[in-house]
Amino acid sequence: MAGSGTAHLRPRDEVLLQVENLYVEFPAGRGRTVRAVSGVSFDLARGETLGIVGESGCGKSSTAKALVQLPRPRAGAVRLDGLDLTTLRGEALRRVRRRLQMIFQDPISSLNPRRRVREIVEEGPLVWGSGTGKVDEVLEAVGLDPATAAVRRPHEFSGGQCQRVSIARALVLEPEVVICDEPVSALDVSVQAQILALLEDLKERYRLTLVFIAHDLAVVKNISDRIMVMYLGKTCELAPSEELIARPAHPYTKALLAAIPGSGLDLPPADRLISGEPPSPVDPPSGCRFRTRCPRAAERCAREEPEIRPVNGGDHYVACHFPDI
Amino acid sequence: MRRRLGPGFWLATAWIGLIVAAAALADLLPIAGYDDTLVGPPRSAPSAEHPFGTDGLGRDVFSRVVHGARVSLGVGIGAVVLGLGLGAPLGILAGYRKGLADSVIMAANDIALAFPSLVFALAVVAFAGASLRNVLIVLGVLGIPAWVRLIRGTTLAFAEREFVLAARVLGVRDRRILWREIMPNVAVPAASYAFIGMAVVIVAEGSLAFLGLSVQAPTPTWGGLINEGRTLMEDAPHVVLAPSIVMFLTVLAFNLVGDRLRALTDVRQSGLEPARQAAPLPAGPAPRPVTGALLQVEDLRTHIHTPRGTVKAVDGVSFTLERGRTLAIVGESGSGKSMLIRTILGLLPATEVSRGGHVHLEGDDLTAFTPEEMRQVLGRRLGTVFQDPMTALNPVRTIGTQVTEPLRVHLGMNRRQARQEAERLLASVGIPDPARMLRRYPHQLSGGMRQRVTIAMALSCGPDVLFADEPTTALDVTIQDQVLRLIHRLREERDMAVVLVSHDLSVVRQWADEVIVMYAGKVVERGPAEQVFTRPRMPYTEALLQAAPRLTDPSHHRLRVIPGRPPDLSDVPPGCPFRPRCAYAQDRCAEEAPPLLAEAGDHHYACWHPTGTAVSDTPEGAETHGR
Repeated sequence: MAGSGTAHLRPRDEVLLQVENLYVEFPAGRGRTVRAVSGVSFDLARGETLGIVGESGCGKSSTAKALVQLPRPRAGAVRLDGLDLTTLRGEALRRVRRRLQMIFQDPISSLNPRRRVREIVEEGPLVWGSGTGKVDEVLEAVGLDPATAAVRRPHEFSGGQCQRVSIARALVLEPEVVICDEPVSALDVSVQAQILALLEDLKERYRLTLVFIAHDLAVVKNISDRIMVMYLGKTCELAPSEELIARPAHPYTKALLAAIPGSGLDLPPADRLISGEPPSPVDPPSGCRFRTRCPRAAERCAREEPEIRPVNGGDHYVACHFPDI
Repeated sequence: MRRRLGPGFWLATAWIGLIVAAAALADLLPIAGYDDTLVGPPRSAPSAEHPFGTDGLGRDVFSRVVHGARVSLGVGIGAVVLGLGLGAPLGILAGYRKGLADSVIMAANDIALAFPSLVFALAVVAFAGASLRNVLIVLGVLGIPAWVRLIRGTTLAFAEREFVLAARVLGVRDRRILWREIMPNVAVPAASYAFIGMAVVIVAEGSLAFLGLSVQAPTPTWGGLINEGRTLMEDAPHVVLAPSIVMFLTVLAFNLVGDRLRALTDVRQSGLEPARQAAPLPAGPAPRPVTGALLQVEDLRTHIHTPRGTVKAVDGVSFTLERGRTLAIVGESGSGKSMLIRTILGLLPATEVSRGGHVHLEGDDLTAFTPEEMRQVLGRRLGTVFQDPMTALNPVRTIGTQVTEPLRVHLGMNRRQARQEAERLLASVGIPDPARMLRRYPHQLSGGMRQRVTIAMALSCGPDVLFADEPTTALDVTIQDQVLRLIHRLREERDMAVVLVSHDLSVVRQWADEVIVMYAGKVVERGPAEQVFTRPRMPYTEALLQAAPRLTDPSHHRLRVIPGRPPDLSDVPPGCPFRPRCAYAQDRCAEEAPPLLAEAGDHHYACWHPTGTAVSDTPEGAETHGR
């Protein structure tokens, strides 16, 4: 699956955000490099929700951070309305930031413990000089009482409420794209449902475009229009949510679905679809990066990296030499 | 919640306040001048007129100590301000910028730290002349490396936090991030260290003064006073003792205040104060007769005493478990599911906790066992696997020593036998090349492999019951599948019982035979897994099932939202704990807590108005209870 290629990208003038051949790498010490993201491409139309799913080490969070240029990707383009953020520096980049906001996984760590909730949400408008008139409205929109928020600090709130504060902080700048990096993974089932419902409501109300990153396919399916599956820094498959779950073409997507207990899908047991553990991103396998765990791997998979190509007609793309179609 | 600082802190603060006031107001106090000779008879003992007595020249020692405080405190505060003023910017720069700035600053810092500081101070003062200014500068500069280290470390820790990343995403400039996000977090540990630093400087100044290398006579300093009094130790010990005791108390007070402030910075530190001794809870209803079950838990209760009140973490839980079965305990955070496991295993702190009820393992009442007897049961008859395999394994010992230890301790094997058995165990949990794995350390293994090792350790003595507390929560879904399959297979092979604690309903649905649903420390529903999942009777169970997204539901399917939050366990309202959030609640639910009612098929539920609707398994039939 170690797929590269850009066959799945739509024309630039039809999309709000386009990511092309993104590479993110980190030094791993002793001169080695972690290849966190290697040639990933995707795009988002205005008002669309793209889910990115994969297991730890697949590069989904690195992708999210590369979108906001923190840190800057090693190579590739991130175009917002045609403007390539990777070419911007200093003040020009800072000006674009408010259009692209982010929500993080850990609701506690993403809020400064020494500041009051209201100060946290006001920070954006204060920095941009856009006036704090919208703060109360946004606090109410995320289900928090503005009067309480004025005096309380984050540790006085539950995890779910802290996540609401994070969402308010992101929304008060009226961004176009919100990148949600595992926003519900640390929450209980009932709180998770509250936050998912809130995100859907806010998306309508503020006309948002969402990138929703999670490891839980059921959560991702619930909120996304399209889903991209990643493995070890590469794209495996990208398709509309219903299509991806109903007709997974990539062996890894199938394994991921089969591993979900009580999924209700008609799939063989996961241990027949995937074996072993993911290799290190410091030294990824040649050719298709999934081949070491794939029951279908053939000699060609080690030699040649599969390109992303359309399957099943329509909007379904897969990077595999031997897909299920 | 405000944390208590304790009386020691306030006494110390009062002492520091007193010394500072005395030093500041020394000239205004109605006491003799520090250098006026023969204000009283020389070497006279403490009296009403001269509270600390007089020295060899008949000078008032009290006055000299009060004036000496000016030098000690002045040098203490001045040196700390100097060290902080120069060290903090360097530390923040190194910690926030990282990279080259960090390397250069820290290299210079390490070199500076390698100097023997007091010898350096002696040399500089001896060379440049002993004056208040020189002493202050030398001690201040010597403190810089420690400040750089402290500030850099704290900055580094906070610069990694997501709220700093969030501020950068908002477009906040670096300078504002430093001031608004990082500085307030660095300030408290810095203040704490400032107090400890002052204590160090006061001692250092005292040592220099004792050697005659601080402020010169006639200005008194504490170290100088001790030095002067040395010769009078025989007949006028008070001349030495008075400044010594004052200096000792001052240094102690600064250290105490610094320590207490540092304790404040641990935001996560629990507010539990050491408290009352554990007391057994009064016996509940007469225990049911002990059946022949493998594990029988009767009316188990765990109450934790905190300053805010008694938290009823486990409140009257009963169940039985047979060999070859898996019992799942589900609930959200704070439902008491992990506390229940700890209570059964006897892994609770002895203080602050009261427990009641009984745990019978094949007829033995474990609650009556001594800690020593319990140790024999743990590992041999009850195996445990916890959420985070990294904390369950000792990072500095090899897998081999850790897996063989229980075999040698509990089963009395010799080294070679234990080694062979360990290899067999690791192979049985699906670890490739077990002989090589035994020589490795935990950090060299992946999370899934580590969890396999802890399972192998839990099984090493052939337990009757395996307790798995969120065993796969930290693992990826494909690895989770492997580990749960493994636990299931081992249960079959060894004819054990498994108690699986999980927040994940789909995991429970697939792997459990029986389910207990917990809410606010109580069992709210209990029964065969299939029945509980397809025909939940308790509205909480129903709501929880509908709140979890399912792959078979369409995209953008509206999940059931349970309004509100679980109750505060230290203040659970009377009646049904779920009532405030329940769509079906009526008057009776507020007045009377529902008992566990039984219906056909060993299905129990605690509800006055149980739901009767079947939750369909198919997307077509699924009812959507939107808001």
